[in-house]
Amino acid sequence: MAETKLVHLKIDDRDVEVPPGTLVIEATRRLGIEVPSFCYYPGLTLQAACRMCLIEVEKAPKLQTACTQVVAEGMVVRTNTEQVRNARKFMLEFLLSNHPLDCPVCDKGGECELQDMVFRYGADTSRFVEEKIHRPEEKWSDLVYYDAPRCILCFRCVRVCDEGMDVKALGVGMRGANSIIIPNREDHLECEECGMCIDICPVGALTSGTYRYKTRPWEMQYVSTICTHCSNGCKTTLSVRNHEILRANNRDLSGINKEFLCVKGRFGFDFTKHPERLKQPLLRKGDKLFPVSWEEAAQAAAAKLKELHMAYGGEAIGFIGSNRASNEENYLLQRLARATFGTNNIDHHRTADYTGLVTALGERAADSSLTMEQLYQSKAVLVIGNDPSNQNPLVGWQIRAGIRHNAAKLFLVNSQEIKLERKATQFVQVAEGQEAAVVRWLATGEGQLAVGVSEKLAALKSALEAEPEVAIVFGSELTGKAIEDVVAFGSKLPGKVRYMALGDYANSRGAADMGVLPDRLPGYAYLDNKAVADSLAKHWGAQVPTKPGMTAPEMIEAAQSGKLKALYVVGANPFAHFGKSGGGRGNLGLLIVHEMFLTETAQMADIVFPAASAYEKDGSVTNTAGEIQLLHKAAEVMGARSDFDLLRIVSHQLERAGVGKAFHFKTPAAVFEEIRKTVPGYNVQAAGLLTGGAEPTKIEFAKNGHAPYEVPLHLIRPANDNLFTSGTLGRFCTMMQTLPEAEAKP
Amino acid sequence: MKLSPKLAAKFDKLQSSYPVKRSALIPMLMYGQDELGSVTDELIAEIGQRLGLNNVQVEETLAFYSMLHRKPIGKHHVQVCTNVACMLRGGAELLEHAKKRLEIGHKEVTKDGVFSLEEVECIGACTGAPAIQVNYDFYENLSPLKLDRLIEDLDKGKRTEPQGVISGALHERAKLETPLISKRWGIKDSHKIDVALQHGAYQALDKALKQMTPESIIDEVKKSSLRGRGGAGFPTGLKWSFVPKDSPKPKYVICNADESEPGTCKDRPLMEMDPHQLIEGITIAGRAINAHDGYIYIRGEYRYVLDIVEAAIADAYERGYLGKNILGSGFDFDLLIHTGAGAYECGEESALMESLEGKRGNPRIKPPFPAVVGLYGCPTIINNVETLSAIPSIILEGGEAYANRGTPKNGGTRLLCVSGHVNKPGIYEIPLGMNMKKFIDEMAGGMRNGKKLKAVIPGGSSCPVFKADEIDIAMDYDTVAKAGSMLGSGGMVVIDEDTCMVDMARRIMHFYAHESCGWCIPCREGTSWLKKMLDRFHAGLGRPEDIDLIAELSKNMLGRTFCPLGDAAAMPTISIVQKFRNEFEDHLQGRCAYNKSAEALIGSR
Repeated sequence: MAETKLVHLKIDDRDVEVPPGTLVIEATRRLGIEVPSFCYYPGLTLQAACRMCLIEVEKAPKLQTACTQVVAEGMVVRTNTEQVRNARKFMLEFLLSNHPLDCPVCDKGGECELQDMVFRYGADTSRFVEEKIHRPEEKWSDLVYYDAPRCILCFRCVRVCDEGMDVKALGVGMRGANSIIIPNREDHLECEECGMCIDICPVGALTSGTYRYKTRPWEMQYVSTICTHCSNGCKTTLSVRNHEILRANNRDLSGINKEFLCVKGRFGFDFTKHPERLKQPLLRKGDKLFPVSWEEAAQAAAAKLKELHMAYGGEAIGFIGSNRASNEENYLLQRLARATFGTNNIDHHRTADYTGLVTALGERAADSSLTMEQLYQSKAVLVIGNDPSNQNPLVGWQIRAGIRHNAAKLFLVNSQEIKLERKATQFVQVAEGQEAAVVRWLATGEGQLAVGVSEKLAALKSALEAEPEVAIVFGSELTGKAIEDVVAFGSKLPGKVRYMALGDYANSRGAADMGVLPDRLPGYAYLDNKAVADSLAKHWGAQVPTKPGMTAPEMIEAAQSGKLKALYVVGANPFAHFGKSGGGRGNLGLLIVHEMFLTETAQMADIVFPAASAYEKDGSVTNTAGEIQLLHKAAEVMGARSDFDLLRIVSHQLERAGVGKAFHFKTPAAVFEEIRKTVPGYNVQAAGLLTGGAEPTKIEFAKNGHAPYEVPLHLIRPANDNLFTSGTLGRFCTMMQTLPEAEAKP
Repeated sequence: MKLSPKLAAKFDKLQSSYPVKRSALIPMLMYGQDELGSVTDELIAEIGQRLGLNNVQVEETLAFYSMLHRKPIGKHHVQVCTNVACMLRGGAELLEHAKKRLEIGHKEVTKDGVFSLEEVECIGACTGAPAIQVNYDFYENLSPLKLDRLIEDLDKGKRTEPQGVISGALHERAKLETPLISKRWGIKDSHKIDVALQHGAYQALDKALKQMTPESIIDEVKKSSLRGRGGAGFPTGLKWSFVPKDSPKPKYVICNADESEPGTCKDRPLMEMDPHQLIEGITIAGRAINAHDGYIYIRGEYRYVLDIVEAAIADAYERGYLGKNILGSGFDFDLLIHTGAGAYECGEESALMESLEGKRGNPRIKPPFPAVVGLYGCPTIINNVETLSAIPSIILEGGEAYANRGTPKNGGTRLLCVSGHVNKPGIYEIPLGMNMKKFIDEMAGGMRNGKKLKAVIPGGSSCPVFKADEIDIAMDYDTVAKAGSMLGSGGMVVIDEDTCMVDMARRIMHFYAHESCGWCIPCREGTSWLKKMLDRFHAGLGRPEDIDLIAELSKNMLGRTFCPLGDAAAMPTISIVQKFRNEFEDHLQGRCAYNKSAEALIGSR
């Protein structure tokens, strides 16, 4: 690639070189010079409306807006002359003329961009003695309130709703000084309730129904962690006061999602203080569960596990891991199963066939993964199945941003006219369930497709063949053989192809990566992969079992049929998903559950340990794109403990009872150290993670001469969560449950 | 929604008239409102569905335009203009009278729903001031008595014949006049194609298509030193030459007929009496830049003019002056007239394009300029009605001959509409460079009632005012600019000694505050603040520091707003404070020598 010649200019007598096309405001930022602005917002269309960024450009007859002025060779810019300072001062004077000076009672006080700017650039007195335009505050939804007098009409909200979200729920009403922002349903909003408008509002005009008037920003602590809802792994900064989460946003724009959060990420945290939250261990006595002490519960668990292990062996014990527990927790659970009980009866509720993708990619797995950033950068994106804007909101956001910023082309294959269709270069609608047939056709040209579909696919194929880079994203419609087909198709494309499988839940990818699978070890290694098994055995001080275990559905069926004697469930609700409906726990001699709530599975348990949510613990999670990020403990719920703690406690009790070795990890970070050594692909740079970044895994996969991978029918079961549902957590998010939009969704 | 067959047909046609469907939005809202009495929820849904727009996209657009009403207006919507030209001739009194007569206030509807009343901004009837509109009908040179009679008739269901040709356009040709673009005015049925053809219409088009190349047309226009007649005075030929020749995109010609600069009413007669001259000019412009589509964006208030031009366009199609293979030249050109809906800002070229695309009339960031990125993102030239109407003359007599009619760099003739306190308000075509004083004294008939001249707004209310002793200058763009003002849009408002300049400043600022689009802070907040302050000051509640503050706030807007509207509000205000400071000081003393209610100034609010 030819090196682009940099443009040289002078800003405030300092030299700077920037790529051609750079805006002056960005060039000033590069030098650390602040040019104030309200309406300028990177990534959104330019407005030049607030006039705060007026600067002097030599030879220009009047002040220019730095947000629209493109750099030119030899340009001389001054940002701090008297003329510029006056322009800013008087602009703020204008702005304040109709703005209520109620900062002491304004929800935005302390983190208001207008307040900060007046502090820095404004006049110390007010010359405005006329009556201000007043309007009453409006409630647009349970989550969004609008206070027109405070609105400075920077149009950020309108743009983010239109350009960013493609929802277009906001507009500008009236004109002149009477201009206001208007919602799409006359006096209220009907939208995705993502709250981006609130987040992006520089002043206190748009406020959050869940946060407003609860606290002052300086009374809170800010903890950045990873959203615990879908599998996209958005970074979220939790605002916490007295161990209670009051707000979630990502205003520092760090992380893979920058400022983006959907309704769940931004507002879905009230499950943490739901009244039904479990806060004490429960032990079954007769047909009832009673609160007991930690000692009693832990000892009972160890004693019973030991008893059943002695009587029936490890084969009769099953383990079900969690899509929401951290990597460390899932890792420890499979270690408990394999090392302590010598069984591969370990699985989790799989919502995407990550195993299938890694296996199909084989040796290319490491360099064919598609990060969220790469998805944004991709010039061509093929999405097969799924409804990203509804089920994988960040994926949808990244694709839309790529289309806006990089003129990316989007190709869709779907059975429904999903929202992204509006942005698609090409949309191929297929009958439900035909997605696998489509990729079969793409890969081999074989198979019978509906009338007209193959013509459209041929066009899609030739369009993709012209692209130097293609991102292929697919939902749970593609599993096993179909994933092999999609990879085969991708391999034939001349450009570089990267893949992303879309699963549900915050750590479904991590659970699979950690080997919470009956037929694969950590890093998807086959059970007979000697190198991996040896490394694990060395760390565990125990042999790794080689006989494949039962899948999660098989375990529930085995429990119901009496074959399985004990089941240890961490953060999952398998009896609600698998087995005979109404079949109950069958003849299980022991059911241990780590849970936050008394789910269907927990209700049947013998021992229930109250578990902490992701917002209440440290650890790491891996998003559906295979990017590892760190969880940081933000809130504290008295009584609940992390699965890490719980597994440690149980392991110690087991050791005391003579079963296996206790886990001697003091922190999740110590477990991660072991993971880095034992799980192929997880030996990532710690520095990136520790500074709040995301590190992509690089799964090194060895086929070891295994037969083609086949995935049993119905093993991959998507959660089909939408913007307003989130499995068990969603059922306990009061806020989300009560939104009218949530009810309207199927 | 069940539409009447007529409206359904209109909608069907509009829907397919534009390259981008959304462009039909504002006309649909206007025509729909005409039939339904307001923009109803059902109409919004119907239009949204037809154009593929959601609720908020329709709502936010319609909210921008002052002629679109969400609540029902009266069967007869009485719109009284009180802007400067009408103000000087009793517009405010007329409004007060209408309020009493109808027993309703501004934006109110009588109980029986028959009448509604609205104080409106300049309706382009300045030479017939004071003037009103009832729905789309103009009534000019009104008095309270005449208004009473009109209302009585309307109440009885009788429609008084509205004003046809704007008053002041047809007058005995003054000695100094050089009718060129107004040459067919006054000829009976001059708007009809046969009459126009008899009097030389479309000869220039024939010449341009058959004897000239696009380059030579542009050259000729350059030679003519024709400058934009809309207000900014940019050289027309130069503007046309900016259109990239190698662009693969379609190119467009837009005629800006959104005449709304207070004091200006020259495009109205040009279109109502000689639409074919305009059509001819636009088509030649299309040829010059190799465009095949043209639009006339006409202000919503000029509906009867729109009807005249629309009929003329249909006739031109029929006779082969528009459409495919015009005059056998192989050149194709389509032309459509498009209604606005009440927004001064849409006179700004980029805001006009936004509006033509069916959006709020907010201006666009420049550069890029319309010649490169204009309508639908394509190269576009946009010119005023008068500018384009001059093209046929330039083609026929040659650029040089046209230029020689004026002064160097200020070619040709232009229309001046003179209103206010003169004996003969009217629209006059004069060569550029004529002396202003001479013009007022001789052509406009001098001051009414023997009063003394106090001030002149030379070219629409955006221009700094001249004092009586500053007008002995040549009226060309450069001389007027040198004297500290602008020739602007040719809307000259003459102000006599009995006029309160504080009131004048107040009324001017009311206009800009009303018309500010709200996009940028300094204009939105500045005009609103100044309006409030001038209201207070004029009512006798001023503070000594307010005088300088008025000027300072205006200066703080000047040159810092997104588009020239902020400058337009600031410039006259600064000049009035500077030149008539004594009147402001008088107000501080509770005196206003000119205001009838002057004795009761203090505390009168």
